Amino acid sequence: MAERRALGPTAPLLGLLALELVAFGVFGHNFLTLANGFEIVRASVEVGLLALALTAVIATGGIDLSVGSLLGLCAVVFGWLAREAGLAVPLAAALAVATGTLGGLLNGWLVTALRLPPLIVTLGTYSLYRGLAEAATGGVANYTGFSDAFLGLGQGTFLGGVPAQLPVLAAAGLFFWLLVQRSVVGRGLEAIGYAPEAARHAGVPVGARLRLVYVLSGACAGVAALVYVARLGQAKADAGTGFELLAITAVVLGGTSIFGGRASVAGTLAGLFVLALLQNGLRLADQPAELAGILTGMLLLLALALSRERKAS
Amino acid sequence: MTRRALSFLWLLATVACGGGGGGAATEGLTVAMMPKNKGNPYFASCRQGAEEAAKELGVKLLWDGPTETDAAKQNEVVEAWITRGVNVIAVSVENREGLSTVLRKARGRGIKVLTFDADALPDAREFFVNQATPRGIAETLLDHTSRLLGGAGEFAIVTASLTAANQNEWIKEMRALLESKHTGLKLADIRPSDDDRKRAFDETQALLKAYPNVRVVMAIASPAVPGAAEAVKQSGRSDVKVTGLGLPNDAKPYLKDGVLDSVVLWNTQDLGYLTLHAAAALGRGTLQPGATSFEAGRLKTLRVEGDNILLGTPFTFTKDNVDRFDF
Repeated sequence: MAERRALGPTAPLLGLLALELVAFGVFGHNFLTLANGFEIVRASVEVGLLALALTAVIATGGIDLSVGSLLGLCAVVFGWLAREAGLAVPLAAALAVATGTLGGLLNGWLVTALRLPPLIVTLGTYSLYRGLAEAATGGVANYTGFSDAFLGLGQGTFLGGVPAQLPVLAAAGLFFWLLVQRSVVGRGLEAIGYAPEAARHAGVPVGARLRLVYVLSGACAGVAALVYVARLGQAKADAGTGFELLAITAVVLGGTSIFGGRASVAGTLAGLFVLALLQNGLRLADQPAELAGILTGMLLLLALALSRERKAS
Repeated sequence: MTRRALSFLWLLATVACGGGGGGAATEGLTVAMMPKNKGNPYFASCRQGAEEAAKELGVKLLWDGPTETDAAKQNEVVEAWITRGVNVIAVSVENREGLSTVLRKARGRGIKVLTFDADALPDAREFFVNQATPRGIAETLLDHTSRLLGGAGEFAIVTASLTAANQNEWIKEMRALLESKHTGLKLADIRPSDDDRKRAFDETQALLKAYPNVRVVMAIASPAVPGAAEAVKQSGRSDVKVTGLGLPNDAKPYLKDGVLDSVVLWNTQDLGYLTLHAAAALGRGTLQPGATSFEAGRLKTLRVEGDNILLGTPFTFTKDNVDRFDF
């Protein structure tokens, strides 16, 4: 267990990162600049928050497909409260995060109380949450006109160029690292993923732990929704479409086992940046963005094949 | 440990390749152009025009954008272009307010910005390449109606919805023209279609019964054109013709049937062509704020009204030219 818990990003993953840095450094325009580094971070925060929370979920052998949809629902709730209902922004923001938390709670409850497989539960809520967001707005309402102070959270910088949302990602990264890799709770999560029955017999409160990870996942979707709305200045029902798959890709690239039992928060962040560098680097190398999809798929398969190879040898 | 490894990698790579950027300024003009949606044939045809102009002017054209309508992607692409360093950015804007912030940032970095097809907030760009003014659309539609009626007679309009902003502006301009220029024409009724083909079909059938003297049905929303044409076709009234505003692909079969005389829109290829010409001129400093006209290659001299570059009179699709277009 000791080696497992010290798990960081795998060597193939760091190799990929290095390869991207060199390749885009050569072929991209202004790729290796501090400003571009910050820009990559800015564009990654929302998916990053989802991926961090998903690392804990996947550690238990679970999955949460509903996070992208929940992000959309929280964005619309926030937009409506702040712009239509005229609530103060902090209150509207708190209620949006509460919405995400409730959404996560529902997932956790369905998984634990009804003993339904997480894949099925969150496939259902994936449609449900997006559907609610679309129904509430007719799919057309687009809330805009947020205050500059709020937009600063997504568009502003401090200390001469650091994106305003970087501390949010850093705080979440630290929190999940402590939770998953440096706490008794985290050991419990991995034990659940490794063998749920054994964990139960060993005294791990399995139900409570599972509810916790899904609630955290929902809350992160709520926070990510706020960052998203602040970055784009608009709240619409299609916010966060497809984010869940990007987040899961980052987690799996990072070396967390999709079957649970083994998780790496630092690996997730490395996986996240492998994806973000690819998107950004291709654009700066004047390549069409569609290539990113193809390369992401190939990278994922390659990373998985390499890590399997390594284990086998 | 891993964080340190990551930041070390970044540092190493930065040092190794440092100072390699900034190529755009020496390679001639780079224009970055973004549609709302790369997959839409409407924009694919804009791109053809833009590439034609890029070749003509020796400009490097970057064409990228979301593969389906996605406001977030538009922001990310513009951010990347700012970092990459392009000379001019031309965008068809999906999310006016959200994208305007990024466009302002681009201008702050000395990049020239213009919009085409769909505008940003005025302070976020220098010019808007405007594909059609309400006045121009109203004029062209009434000219076709008048031609079909021989200068005098009754026509009816099938619109989008009775509250649709664009359509209502065109109708307002048409009413003014009916008072001044086309005094022989009489507008019998205006019916809504709610952007629905079936509804347009039903409304047109009702119109033909209620107003037997109506000889021209003018359908001014894209789905209304085939709906109205189908209704006229099924009525067997060969004395009634349809004209309107819509997409050539919807109109194609009815234009060939002869039920539909013409559809008006703008030539999307010319829109892309003009946008690239304007972008190049802006980048080279030959187009300045306050200009009143603009020379755009094969499109000759075009009018500039305020900060709007006008593509000119709308384009008319007929059975003879419609096969050249696919959107």
